[in-house]
Order: sequence, then C-alpha cells, then structure tokens
Amino acid sequence: MTLPGNIDFNSLKPEEFEHILPDLFAGSSGKLSQDPRLQKFLAANPDCATLVRDLEIIAETARSLFHPVADPSDRVWENIQAKLQEDSALAPIDDDYIDPAKGID
Amino acid sequence: MSYQGQWMTQDSPATNNPGLFKRNPPIAGEAEAIEAAKNGDPEAFAKLYNLHKRRVYTLCLRMLGNVSAAEDMTQNAFLHLFRKLGSFRGESAFSTWLHRLTVNLVLMQLRKNGLNLVSLEETINPSDDDAPKRDFGSRDQVLAGSVDRVALERAVAALPPGYRMVFVLHDVEGYEHNEIAAMLGCSTGNSKSQLHKARLRLRELLRNPAQSPQPTQQPAFPESAK
Repeated sequence: MTLPGNIDFNSLKPEEFEHILPDLFAGSSGKLSQDPRLQKFLAANPDCATLVRDLEIIAETARSLFHPVADPSDRVWENIQAKLQEDSALAPIDDDYIDPAKGID
Repeated sequence: MSYQGQWMTQDSPATNNPGLFKRNPPIAGEAEAIEAAKNGDPEAFAKLYNLHKRRVYTLCLRMLGNVSAAEDMTQNAFLHLFRKLGSFRGESAFSTWLHRLTVNLVLMQLRKNGLNLVSLEETINPSDDDAPKRDFGSRDQVLAGSVDRVALERAVAALPPGYRMVFVLHDVEGYEHNEIAAMLGCSTGNSKSQLHKARLRLRELLRNPAQSPQPTQQPAFPESAK
C-alpha cells in the first residue's frame, strides 16, 4: 500500500481519506493533523479530524510505554540459575555478591 | 526461515537508525560484564540479568499480553543470551542486540502457537467481531485529548496477537515499517495496514473500557490459534 501521487486533497471524500489514512500516518511523523494539505479537508469533516486526533493521541501515549515498568518475579532468575547449573554451564553463584532479585537500581 | 540467524549475523538496523540507537545508550560497567560473562563468569552474567531483566520482561509482557508467558519468555531469552553471548561483537548496543534476540524468540513462540507470519492479512486478522469498526465515530466519544497510560496498557493487552505485535514494535519500541516487515516476513504496506487497524481497535477499546480485560486474565494466544 503506497500513497497515490495524484491525490486531490481539495476534493477528497471521507471514504477515500479512510483508505489512504495508513499511508498518510506512516509519512507524517505523528503529526498528521498539522499536515497543510489536509487542513481544509479536516475542517470540513470534523469526524475525520476527531479520528486523526484520537489516533495521534494513542501513538503519542504509546511512546511513553517504551520505558520498562515491571520486574519479573524472583522465580525467573531462580529458574535460569537452575537450568544453567543443570546444564553444567554455570557454576553456583555465591549468595553474598549480588542478589539478582533486588536489582541494582 | 531463521529470524534469529538473520538478526544475529547481520548488522543491526539500529546502526542505521540513530533514533533507536539513542534509546539504548551504553551502561556503566556493562562492557566489562559482557566480556567476563563470555568467559563464564557467573557474577557477570547475573549483573547482565540485573541490568536488563526489566527491559526484556516488559517487552515480553507487552508482546505476549500475559504475565506467565512473559516470565517464561524472559527466562528463555536469558538462557539464549548465555548461549549466544560469545557471538556478540559489539557492532550495536548490547541492549539493542538483546532486544532483537528477545523479539525473535517471541516471534518464534508465536509461530509455534499457530500464528502464521507469512500472510499477516490472512492469518492475523481477527474475526469480523473483533475487527475495528470502520466508522469515524461521533464527536461525543472522543478520547478527550489524552489517554491514561494504564488504560492504554490494558487495551494493548486486549488486542489480537497480530495487531498487538505490530503496534508494540512500531509505536512502543520504535521500529520502522520496513524493519517490522523484515522481521515478520510481510510487506511494508501490510505492516502499515496492521498498525492502523491496531490503533483503530485501541480507539474502540479506550472508548469502551469494559471491553478490555485485566492483563493477567488475557490469554497469550486465542484458543483458535493454539
């Protein structure tokens, strides 16, 4: 799916807009609502403008999810240690140097 | 096709993507820990686990939408890390490399569970009941200028696996459509389409929160995909 080069944004219909929306977003750096080509269309089609704004909000908020928020349970590290020791790939770890379950930060 | 082999032997696209690379700056003491862990130092490996467990687990949780599956995958990722660490040559940030490894493992798991990545459009599209509605929505149902982060997390967990995967990779993790297409074996157009459908579905879920189950109750895979 690529954006056709002959789009007349002045006579765009909502159905056509919906069809090209994925490509418009992909080329918009997240600020499609500010695209000069679309200002007239969005002003004339408030529901389309609402849709664009909602999708922008979702994408903006999604970026804030990049930072990790949750730790795995202690069971994960215990299982990793057990598996590696089972495979004789890693010697037992002294308990007093780092407690992986506590993290380092 | 071995995605893992592909990512392990090629230069990471992150080296061509400054935006992604900047999100993974070097961590103090990490380089020394990597070298020591390569030589079998258990303390160094534990340090790498501590440095990256949260990032790896969060990625798994978002892609799989299930705590138990995410913990199993985190365990799997670090076991793979231990075995593959010797092949890390420092051509990209370690965190980027580990991130790729984890994504590949998640994708392999999804394929094992019946998610055919060859034809996303045919196999990942949810049923008609789950597909995003094509209406533009009335103005009294807008998202009011903001979305609660927790609500979005919950809605993402409620997405069908195919939608969730593309959304997380693009909108959360910052991959480009061409990178996602390469990982999933689909076209960039397909990636764009899936992302758009995912956002539309999220919009519905956020406007009707009752449709979003608690993340811990959400199965990693739909019954039909098992």
